[in-house]
Order: sequence, then C-alpha cells, then structure tokens
Amino acid sequence: MTPSSTAEFATIFEIMRMSTEDGPGIRTTVFFKGCSLHCAWCHNPESISPNPQLQWVGNRCIGCRTCLSVCRENALALTESGMEIDRTRCTGCGDCADACPGTALEIMGKTWDLDDLTAEVLKDQAYFETSKGGITVSGGEPALQSEFAGQFLKALRQRGIHTALDTCGCCRREALDQVLPYSALVLFDMKLMDPVLHKKFTGHDNRRILENLHYVADYMRSHVHPSEMWIRTPLIPRATATRENIGAIGQFIGAHLRNVVSRWELCAFNNLCRDKYLRLGQRWEFEKEELLTLDFVDEMADAAKSSGVDPDMVVPTGSTRLE
Amino acid sequence: MTAVAQNITPPLKMPAGLSPRMEWLREYYFNGAERAWNNESTSWTTGTPWDVQFNEMTFYIVPETYMLMQTLLSSYRQSARPVALPPDFWAKSLAERRAWFIKEVMVKYLPAEILPGDLIAGGRFNIQASMCLTETEQAEFNRLTAGKNGARSAMNWFHNHGYGNAGATCGHLVPGYDRVLSIGWKGIYEELENFYRDLSDADRKGPKGAQLRAMMTAATLPRDLAGKYAKICERLSAGEKNSAHTTERKAELAQMAQNLKKVPWNPPETFWEAVQALWLTHMLVMSDENYPGPGVSFGRIDQYLLPFWEHSIASGMSREFGKEILKCFWIHANTAYDAMIRNGNQGITSGFGQLITLSGLGKRHGTLLDMTNDLTFAILEVIDEMSPILEPKPNIRMHRDSPDTLLDKMTDMVASSQGAPFLINFDERSMAGMMREAAMAEIGHLINKDNVHDYCPVGCLENTMAGNDRSGTVDCNLNLLKAVELAITGGKDLLPFVDPMTLKKEKIRQDGPSTGDAAAFQRWDAFWSAYRQQTAYIIRKCVDLYETSESVRARFLPTPYLSCLVKGCAEKARDVTRGAAEISFVTLEAVTFATTVDSLLAIKYLVFDEKRCTMRQLRQALEDNWEGHNVLQALAKNKAPKYGRDDDAADEMAKQVMDLWTEETWKHCTLSTGRRFRPGMLSWNYWAGDGYIMAASADGRKKGQFLSNAICPSNGADINGPTANANSVGKALGGKDFENGDWETYLNSLPNGASHTMTFNPAIIKDPAHREKFKAFLKGYAVNGGTCLQVNILDPDMLKDAQKHPQDYRHLLVRITGYNAYFTSVGRELQDEVIARLSHEQF
Ligand code: SF4
Ligand code: SF4
Repeated sequence: MTPSSTAEFATIFEIMRMSTEDGPGIRTTVFFKGCSLHCAWCHNPESISPNPQLQWVGNRCIGCRTCLSVCRENALALTESGMEIDRTRCTGCGDCADACPGTALEIMGKTWDLDDLTAEVLKDQAYFETSKGGITVSGGEPALQSEFAGQFLKALRQRGIHTALDTCGCCRREALDQVLPYSALVLFDMKLMDPVLHKKFTGHDNRRILENLHYVADYMRSHVHPSEMWIRTPLIPRATATRENIGAIGQFIGAHLRNVVSRWELCAFNNLCRDKYLRLGQRWEFEKEELLTLDFVDEMADAAKSSGVDPDMVVPTGSTRLE
Repeated sequence: MTAVAQNITPPLKMPAGLSPRMEWLREYYFNGAERAWNNESTSWTTGTPWDVQFNEMTFYIVPETYMLMQTLLSSYRQSARPVALPPDFWAKSLAERRAWFIKEVMVKYLPAEILPGDLIAGGRFNIQASMCLTETEQAEFNRLTAGKNGARSAMNWFHNHGYGNAGATCGHLVPGYDRVLSIGWKGIYEELENFYRDLSDADRKGPKGAQLRAMMTAATLPRDLAGKYAKICERLSAGEKNSAHTTERKAELAQMAQNLKKVPWNPPETFWEAVQALWLTHMLVMSDENYPGPGVSFGRIDQYLLPFWEHSIASGMSREFGKEILKCFWIHANTAYDAMIRNGNQGITSGFGQLITLSGLGKRHGTLLDMTNDLTFAILEVIDEMSPILEPKPNIRMHRDSPDTLLDKMTDMVASSQGAPFLINFDERSMAGMMREAAMAEIGHLINKDNVHDYCPVGCLENTMAGNDRSGTVDCNLNLLKAVELAITGGKDLLPFVDPMTLKKEKIRQDGPSTGDAAAFQRWDAFWSAYRQQTAYIIRKCVDLYETSESVRARFLPTPYLSCLVKGCAEKARDVTRGAAEISFVTLEAVTFATTVDSLLAIKYLVFDEKRCTMRQLRQALEDNWEGHNVLQALAKNKAPKYGRDDDAADEMAKQVMDLWTEETWKHCTLSTGRRFRPGMLSWNYWAGDGYIMAASADGRKKGQFLSNAICPSNGADINGPTANANSVGKALGGKDFENGDWETYLNSLPNGASHTMTFNPAIIKDPAHREKFKAFLKGYAVNGGTCLQVNILDPDMLKDAQKHPQDYRHLLVRITGYNAYFTSVGRELQDEVIARLSHEQF
C-alpha cells in the first residue's frame, strides 16, 4: 500500500459519522492522511505522515503473538511494557493487523476509491437532509490529495450534498483550485500571526497560508461557491493562546476578510489525544498540559471580540478545566 | 411488560412547580410502605376449601417468579377473606359467577377512600379474587397447570433448555376507552342488551347468553362503584368546616360527587368528568384481571380527551386546573405499584406499563396531518413537573414532519431526564408493520390506509389498534439463538441441563429435527439449511407451549368486564380470553436477534469463508465455554462481521434471519382460540437472565454473558456511531421499497414493532446548536431507522462499568472536549476526568 493522490484513490485515516463539530448539522468527516504542517500540539498525530502507519492499542491485545510470526520484516517485539514497533523496519504492509485477532494492531490509513468512498458517506444522506449537514473533508490536509478530494466533493455536490473543506491553508494554489469550486463552506485554520512563532510551532512560516487565505476570500467574492468561511483558531497554552496573537488574527480578519468570514471558532486545547501519541510511539510536548480554565478561555474570547471583528461571530468551543 | 426492578425512590431531579395539593399527594405516594393508605392486593374467596385466587400462568413469562409460584399461591389463599355468596351462585355459568364476584368485592367489600386534596375518585383496585371454580373445575385447572404434564412443567422445560418462555398473560392492549367517553357505560350496557335480545332462545340458554349476562353484570360495576364514591364525596364535603381555606375543598368535593353521579355511566361533558370516567374504567380492568397495570394502555389520550379539554377551557376551566386534574390521575396510576408493597418486591412482579400515546399522525378532512395539540403539551408538562414518576409512561409518536415545538419539548425532557429512558415511536415504519399485518392476515377491513394512523403502542412499544385488538404482545418470548445451537449439534442441546436444586444432570436427547452433525457440512448453504429447519422447530415448540396456557385460560379465566371494552366480544358473545377481539393475534417476540445474526456471521466467516477453524473446533470451543480457545474467541469477537455497523453484507444476514423467522411465525395459529401468530421484537429483561442459561455462542459470547436486546446490535458492536446503528436496524426490518412498500416506501416485517435502545452522550444536548442536531437525528431516524427508539443519556455509572468491562463498550464514543474518542481506548486518567465531567454536567 502506497499513499496515493490520484483522482481515483486516496489515503484516508478515518471516516467519522455523525460528527457534530466540523461544520453545520450532522456530518460525516473524512480525514485525509498527510499534512503539510507539523503542529506541536496536533490532536491527530496519525494524520501527519502521508503513509499508512501501524498502531497498537494495548487493551485489545490478548498476547497471542500471532503478529510476531506473520511480520516478514521482524519489526515487532512484545515486551513487558507492551508492543514495540521498530518503525525503521515496518513498511506498513498491514499483514500483522490483518492477522491480529484482537484488532490491537491497526493500520492507520486505508486506500479508498472514489465510488466506494462516495457510497460510504452517502449512507447518512437522510441525516444530512434533516440536519442541513453534509460532508467535511479534513485531515491532515485534504488539499494534499486535491485531485481526489476535488472529484469527491464534486460527486457530492452533484447529489445536492452540503460540502465543507477543512484546511490549514498550507498548500499549492492549484490544489485549492481543484477543491474550492465544490466546497460550500471553507473551515480555514489561523493559528499564529507571527511568522517566526508559526515556523517554530508548525514547521512552516505563514506566508503561503495568508496568501492562500486572501486567494480564497477573493475567490469567494467572485464565485457562488464557497459561500461561507469559518476561521478556526486552536487555543494552545504558551503558543497560540496569547492576547497578542488572538488580537492580531482578529485584526487580520477585520481588515481583509470582512463579509467573507461568518464565524470564528476558538477551539480550547484538549488532551484526549495523549494516548494517540503513545500508540504511535511518539512523544508529545503537551503531554502534561491541563485543560484551560474557563476564565482563560473567556479572556481569549474577549480579546477576539475586541479585535475589530463582529463580536457575535466569535464562538469558543471545547471544554475547560473542572474547577 | 416493561423493565424489572424499577426503583421508586425519587432520584435527583426534583419536581417543580407543583401546587401544595400535588406536593402533598406526591410526597405521600413516595412514602411507600409507611403510608396509612395503600393499594396493596387483597385476596377474596368463595370460601370453598379448593378455592384458588392466584393465576400462576400470568407469571409464566416472568422467570424470576418461578420459584415463588407455590408461595404466592398459598399466601393469597391464607389471607383470602370470604365473600357471602347468593344461593344460586354455583348454578350460574363461570363467567357470570366471576362477573358477580368481582363486582361484589369492588362495590361491597373493598374499602373506598378519597385522599386529601385528590380530585379523582377510585383508590383501591389491586385484588386477587377467587377464580370462582367448582371443585371439579378447580381440580381440572390444577391438573392442567401444576399437574405432571401440565403447563407449568412444559414452561419450565422450555425455559431451562434455553428456548425462552411463553404464557397467556394479562393486559397488553388498549381497551375501548373512547367508547366509554362517547356513549358511557350505559350505552355499552344497552348494546349488550340488544345483542342479548337478538340471540335465539337456544343461544340465550347456552354459553353465548351466559357470556352476555356476565358482561351486563360487569357493565354495571363502574356505575355502582362511582355511586359509592359519590356518597363518600358528599359526606366529606358536608364534613369540611366552613373556614376560608376549606370552602374551596368543600366545593371540589361537591363537584366530584356530581361528576360521579353522572360518569362513567353517562358520557362525560367536562374534562374533569372525562378524566374521572377514564380512571374508574381503567382501574377496573386491573381489578378484573387481578393484575396491576400489566400494559393496560391508554392509547391516544391527547386525541380522545381533546374535545373535553377544549370544551372545558372554553367554558372557563383554567389550564392549570386541567393539569391539576391530570396530575391526580398520574398519582392514581402509580398506586398500581402498591400491589405487593409490604414485600418490597415491586421489582419482581411489576410488569407495569400503563402506556399513553402522544402526538403522531392523524387524518383531518382526509389529509394525513400531525395531531400535536395543546393537550399534548399540557400532558408533557404534567410529566415534566411530576417527574421523576413512573406511570403512566409516555411513548411519543413522531414522524418525518413532527413539529419543531414538539421536538423541542422532547429534547428538553431528554436533557433533564437524568438517565431516565425516553420512548419515541416512529409512525412511518410502525404503520408499515401494521399494514403488513393487515395483508398477511387478510384483515384489510380492520386495518387499512384510512385508519392505520390510529395504531398505538401498548406496554412499551408494541403496536396494536385500539379498542378492538388484543395481540398478546408479551406472551411468547423465543430465543432465536437456540436454533443456531441446534444447527451445530443436529437438534440436541450443546450442554446437558443441570437442575440447580438437585444438581442432577439430564441426559441429552434428540429434541429438534436431526439435521446431522454440522462438522460434516462442506458449504455454508448446508449449515443455513439446518438452521432453517431448527428455526421452524423452535417456533413450533413455542407455539405448542403457548397452547398449554392459552387453552386453560380460555376455559377457566374469563374477563367479562374487559370483554365489554374490546370490540368483537359482545358481537360474538364470546370472552376476550377466547379470542373474540376483532383483531386477535398472539405476538411472538424474538429475543437474541443480534447474537443470532452475529453467531451465524461468525460461523460463516470462521468455518466456511476464511477457514480459520473447523466446525469441530468451533463446537469444542463452545462446549468449553471458550476456555482455552482465546485466539478463536478473539477472532469471533473482533474479526467476524457484525450486525449494527451499516455494513451491507452483515445487515443482509440480519435481513435473512428476519425473513426466515417472521415467515415461519405467520404460519401458526392457536388451536383453542384461533389466534394467529405475528412477529415482534421486545426482550424485556430476558437477554440478561437467559444469558446464564444459554450455552456459549459463536459470536464469541461466553455462557453467563448478556445476549443481545431486542433489535439492538450486540453490546459494543456498533462501532460506527448512532447513524450507522439506526441504518442497520432499518435494514433488518426490511428497509425501503420504492414501488412496493407496506406503507408508502417503508417496509416492516414486525407489526408489533422492535425495541431499539441507544445511549447518547450528554454533549449532544448541551447547547441549542447541538440540540438542533439531536432533533435532526431523530428526524433522520424516522426516515432510516426502526419503529421505536428508547433514548438513554450516558451517565457516570455506565462509564464506570465501561472501565471495568472495556470489551462490552468498544463503541462508546465520548465527545467531551469537542473531540471524539472511544472511551475505552483513552487512558485511565482521562477516563476518570470524563466521568468527573459527566458527574458535574460539564461537557
Ligand atoms: S505492518 Fe507489516 S511490516 Fe509493519 S509490523 Fe506489521 S507485518 Fe510487519
Ligand atoms: S496478534 Fe494482536 S493480539 Fe496477538 S499479540 Fe499481536 S497485537 Fe496482541
């Protein structure tokens, strides 16, 4: 299995049905694998690499050692502390996952073809209709598999399904051209305004992202679709969640995206993904971080509301610390 | 029947907005055994040495009581008080004896009181009355039930061997209350007289005449009892002192006396009269059947009470006072639970479920419309303000076009219910099932597209028509899984039955058809064909078992009072217990559906498709209860396909299992009463209890673990979320057919309906935006899902259980921080945090 970005095949790491947090209504969110950024706080570490990755969920393992015998690369070892996956050897072939009776071993990232994926997401069409919901393509960065994503979104638009593109904005202009015409809503991430900090925390500066943001806004002004844009800003302690940064994002929205952006979500940091890092054998610098306090989130929301945007547009989401 | 072991101590949510009257009554009710007044069952005898008051067959479907049968029988016999009989008593027919006896007890013997502040009369109704049998009759009854080859031993065998249970049970119908409200008991009496007059002389002397005379006696019971209560009200009213705060009560009592002099003998005009008439009529059904609240359901109460509500509101009744009347009615319904109040075991015998139906489609000027009205909302407010309180239980009928205002109110109630389950019936799929029934049984003149919208659920969710339908909705409960076991062994039990008392091991016998040792099967088709034959066998076995109690009930246990309220009985001059209702089915409720489907899927996957093991190995694993076969068990549990994931291939198996057992069920009729069998899926609590009886199953379940509940996917199998779960259920019922639907495009193999429970995270109702999504989910369910959904909201206890048994909760999504994760796959620390959040209602 190799990652693919053709028009017929895509690498998808999750299909989340009845998703209620990725746009209006009841949605099915399709998570494309592979991301152009590498955010230090990323909640979906399995989304970053474009390649299928093996993960091990300890509480499902029955210790039968079947996996050890099927792996041709000798990449696995079952030790006292659990399964050790030698990631330098593992090719992600999936043989062990196929054989694992406990489904403890799983390959994150499966190849889907266009027809199958379309049929799969249409299973919830009834709920899209009753809720004015639809499909969100997310990731990772769906624009990295733009040819497929564009065809997929097009197929859904043709069936009258509402579509949303969730993007970090770090992609080629041509990639955007392939997906924008078929996206009714764009969920655009704005994380940090300071290019140096952006680079520090995500691995890239934000020049291209801001250019793309202007481009999408211009595109929307001259086209029927996309008709709506939401900005999403993760509130990450000591990174994005500062008065300066929130104020600066707000000023940018106020100055350049007037009449384009209808909602600005401030997504409070969460730590539920801690185990995902463990399963992938990765360390996470926010591992010990607690949830934000309600006061702090309110402070950030105030900063956003007084930054020059329509205050009603600012929506804090996610949970805060139990007091 | 509804849930077991209901807890009547009020949980955290406290009632709101109650008047001092209602606060007092409600609190008094919850004092339980400490009350001076109660509605505990009293026992009454003809005084003969052979007399029996307790009909054990009513409890055949409650396995928890099997050990108590003899004790209950003796304790009622010991405490029975004698009733003085008229000289010609024994010369009369059984139906007449019984009608007279019940009336005598209710009017002359049982004390009658009005509680302080109460606006409705009709207090004590729980009685155990003599069966009124002669010595010979009683001996015959005893032989046919408790005798060596009687109904009881047949029922025990069936249950002990894992097939399920069956028995002719009370209630579970919607009596024709609307007729009492439109013509009064007087009108019913006059009809009976007319039918009697029309009988030939010979018929008058025979059983037909006897039956109609018994019904006429019964029809005067509500009149005479109301008269007794009217006198009490007058006396109380006169006794109230003329102080300022009692003047009002005096007037209320005087009005109650007026009401009772008029109804239920004459038809009511005001709302107060209508509710009074309804209550007395209803409670006497329970007296007649000697069983508290067994799914005797009210039907579309917000429709048939509406004209009275509107009339009284228009003539000056305040909306609040109307609700006050309803709240008193609510208190009365709850006193059904007093039946065994001192034993403290309401849980064991409480097959309660005085269900009310609210909202739903109806016809006005020939157009199908939503029937939600002001009374619907008033009733919902009453429930909300009185809750937590158990009876009467609402089942709200919704459909694709249910109004937003109703859905908003429902969502509010779900949000504040604190884990109390909430029942929603879905019209389109339900009506499709009723239309299928009409086609299968050729009763299009009784159920058709012009009246099918008047269907209503009884008990919990069992769909029937109202006033002319008794379809034994809880009488037969069959474990479909038994047929898989028999297909593996070729018609024998996998494990020998061991008597729990004597520890004696029974010899394994050839019970089902010998379909051969499955180890010899080369292809899946061969296994399926064996499964087909065994399914036909277990259904026939269940039908035969039912006959043993149905025939005894038909002979010895007439209910002439109830018969007055079921269309068909007066016309045929035959009792409702003899199959006289116009619509008279027996419902075969299939239990263990998903466990059966998943077991078949696992056998196909492991033995035939993937060849991970041989049939012999699989059988060995099941005999060993999976001990020492953990790899095979894990494969069965995790790798084999499962129903409930919206996986078309797996759901096709569900559909095949459904088609097979439902078609087989329609083939049968009772011999003694000519009632046809129809299919349904309700599993009360059997999926828990029978899990200890049935051998390990091929889906990876061990003996002792729960079976699947009604039409729900197996525990933890629905890993693709609520929409996928609902879609699978809809497909199992038949899905849609754009040309030949049963009702519009909807298909439904189960006229009775299917119980489906789903547990939601409270995050789905945390704020207005999410509530909109929840409402939309329900509307989507109306398009894709089943007939009835029980909505549960996740509570901390469930999560704590999930920490202990992660294997049962793989599907449990927590959506706490705007982020989804499977609860069991996040670390302990985070799990604890999620639990803490839920406890603090902070999502
Ligand atoms: S995915 Fe393939 S290479 Fe990697 S551990 Fe499993 S079997 Fe070995
Ligand atoms: S095959 Fe799966 S269950 Fe068995 S040891 Fe490997 S990871 Fe654990």
